[in-house]
Amino acid sequence: MSAATSPLVASGTSRGLRGKSVRSRIGDIAGNYWVGRIVKAILTIYLVVTLTFFLVRLMPGNPVESFILNLVQTQGLTYPQAQAQAASLFSFDVNAPLWQQYVDYLGNLIHGNLGVSIVSTGTPVSVMILQYLPWTLFSVGLALLISFVLGITLGILMAYRRDTLPDHVLSTIAAFISGVPNYLLAILIVVFLGIRLHLVPFTAMRGSLSPGVSPNLSLQFIGDALFHASLPITVYVLTTVGGWMLLMKSNTTSTLGEDYVLVARARGLRDGRITAAYVGRNAMLPLISALAISVGFIVGGSTVIEQIFVYQGIGWILGSAIVSLDYTVMQGIFLILTISVVVSNLLADLLYGKLDPRVRIAGSQ
Amino acid sequence: MMLGTRRNAFSRSGASDASVPADVVLSVRQLSVAYVTRRGPVQAVRDVSFDLHGGESLALIGESGSGKTTLGMAINRLLGSSAQITTGEVLYQRQGKVTNILTLNKEQLRRFHWQECAIVFQSALNSLNPVLRVADQFVDTARAHGQHDRGQIEQRASHLLRLVQLDPGRVLHAYPHELSGGMRQRVLLALGLLLEPQVLVLDEPTTALDILTQRVIIETLRQLKQELRFSMIFISHDLSLAAELADRVATMYAGRIIELGSVRDIFYHTRHPYTLGLLQSVPPLRGTLEDLRSIPGSPPDLITLPSGCKFHPRCPLAGPECAQEDPPAFVVGDEHTSACLRWQEVRSPRGEEAAIGEPSRVMHSARTPRAEEAAS
Repeated sequence: MSAATSPLVASGTSRGLRGKSVRSRIGDIAGNYWVGRIVKAILTIYLVVTLTFFLVRLMPGNPVESFILNLVQTQGLTYPQAQAQAASLFSFDVNAPLWQQYVDYLGNLIHGNLGVSIVSTGTPVSVMILQYLPWTLFSVGLALLISFVLGITLGILMAYRRDTLPDHVLSTIAAFISGVPNYLLAILIVVFLGIRLHLVPFTAMRGSLSPGVSPNLSLQFIGDALFHASLPITVYVLTTVGGWMLLMKSNTTSTLGEDYVLVARARGLRDGRITAAYVGRNAMLPLISALAISVGFIVGGSTVIEQIFVYQGIGWILGSAIVSLDYTVMQGIFLILTISVVVSNLLADLLYGKLDPRVRIAGSQ
Repeated sequence: MMLGTRRNAFSRSGASDASVPADVVLSVRQLSVAYVTRRGPVQAVRDVSFDLHGGESLALIGESGSGKTTLGMAINRLLGSSAQITTGEVLYQRQGKVTNILTLNKEQLRRFHWQECAIVFQSALNSLNPVLRVADQFVDTARAHGQHDRGQIEQRASHLLRLVQLDPGRVLHAYPHELSGGMRQRVLLALGLLLEPQVLVLDEPTTALDILTQRVIIETLRQLKQELRFSMIFISHDLSLAAELADRVATMYAGRIIELGSVRDIFYHTRHPYTLGLLQSVPPLRGTLEDLRSIPGSPPDLITLPSGCKFHPRCPLAGPECAQEDPPAFVVGDEHTSACLRWQEVRSPRGEEAAIGEPSRVMHSARTPRAEEAAS
């Protein structure tokens, strides 16, 4: 959070300077392409934070009420006693008006305080996120990498062999699997490979690690982490690779028709060099932004998959938070999801500028 | 010469027993190319034969769709899979060694490309990889042909860029999109000369450029040809360009070379009505616009060609025999052939006797004061 707020601080200090230099300095900063991008990103995050704060509170049922009643029933407290205990636990006044809660929430957010879980009493939301997020980043990141590399490779292959049998077979498969929703595939794997055929020990694969294994740099840990992540990764890869294949095939096909590819052949360049630096790199450019957008969405989309496989990542904890109406956890996770989408889009722009010199020039002016 | 010894690109396969006159670098013999389409084969090049001598420049002129570009690509075997070379041979000679380009294997062909014969394409704007700096494209080309010293390659590239009147300091480390169209065309020209090819094919080298840039390119080419002594085939529909740069001119119509001769013969002793039609469709520098005439009709469909002479439906001189017989190439003068049954009736309006100075003076309508300075 602190990194995200720094440009605001910077523009604030420059406004404090005097005279002509102030105006020109603000002009420099405002004129800078990247400052503009970052300010936009922060604004997006703020809007989403506000929206989720109010939307979450529009959900039916009141978790605080049910928590208080629970205390009354199980521990024999009187209602006011239970209410006081709840208020001290949640670090916000449950009886305060909504706008007061909103202002408090924003204030805490700027200090990096996401509040305390309502259900797992006493656990700060930031701690929960730090505990579960790495598993999602690991599984989703690895899956995306595999899917992207595989899709690009197969896509180029299909374009080079277009209108042959391998192309037709791969295109059909790609179109089919990219149409299957990931949750359906996950359920099919559990039902058929796990329960009916017993090919996949999916009960042993639950969780993000086996009992007794702790995170360290040993081979055992890495192997175990991969073992537990393998089902979600398989599902993510299978449901996204088809899209990459088809996109890369069509981009490569049109790049192959470019004059500079013909000229590269006329120059006697080796096939490998032409494929990598002349065809592949140019055909891949439009996919970079698609990749970044999918990073954001796959983190969000992990919710259902992690529920199905009981993979304890951020999606899994989000699912439980929704069921138990844990406002603070939900808000925290939505914030993370928003940041991941916004940041990955920023990264896409950065990377695109690196890969395509034409954009670099436009961006720096 | 700057980049060490040149390795011969060819081993045994591809070598040809055919004999080629000593001063000929490229001999195209009975070459035919057809594109496979649903309607049937498109006969884009039909039975084309010509010799290209060392240090000579040959212009291929004709309307769009007459097969010029296909011929240029076929010589380099760069045609797509829909095109088939149906007959003929392309013999290439270096230091007495004759090779048939059409029988080279893939790796031999790759080494032949650019090192022996470079081709500068029509669409210079899009001929360079947009994501690589100009210097890297020079380095790529040299590396593909076994030269790895980056410093040396860049030095040679700088030298060539200066030859085409570009500032290497600015151009070498630029991306293609940072250069103007004329600059890109000249970069390609410099790139074409990087490996000192014996043959340079230029496909419409000035078509997409404004008239001032055209001048610079033409002057550059003229100078380079004198300094570096390569042979040149340039494909153009611009007759003034042919008049300025060519030693010999070949007129193509419906995939065939229908007239071939020295530039003076073609312009002043025209022996084919089609060439004459082309000449008359260019506004003369002197004379009235009434002399300007276009050729009626349009080029034939290359799938269903007319009978006899392919030009007869549009020809003002055509007689009944022209629809019967496809005329062979008649020798109509010294090193001058014309595929016309009535070649003796063709009269050049510019007159055999009334030749007015150099062809370039007559033909050229785009000379500017600035270019005049550059030329002198």
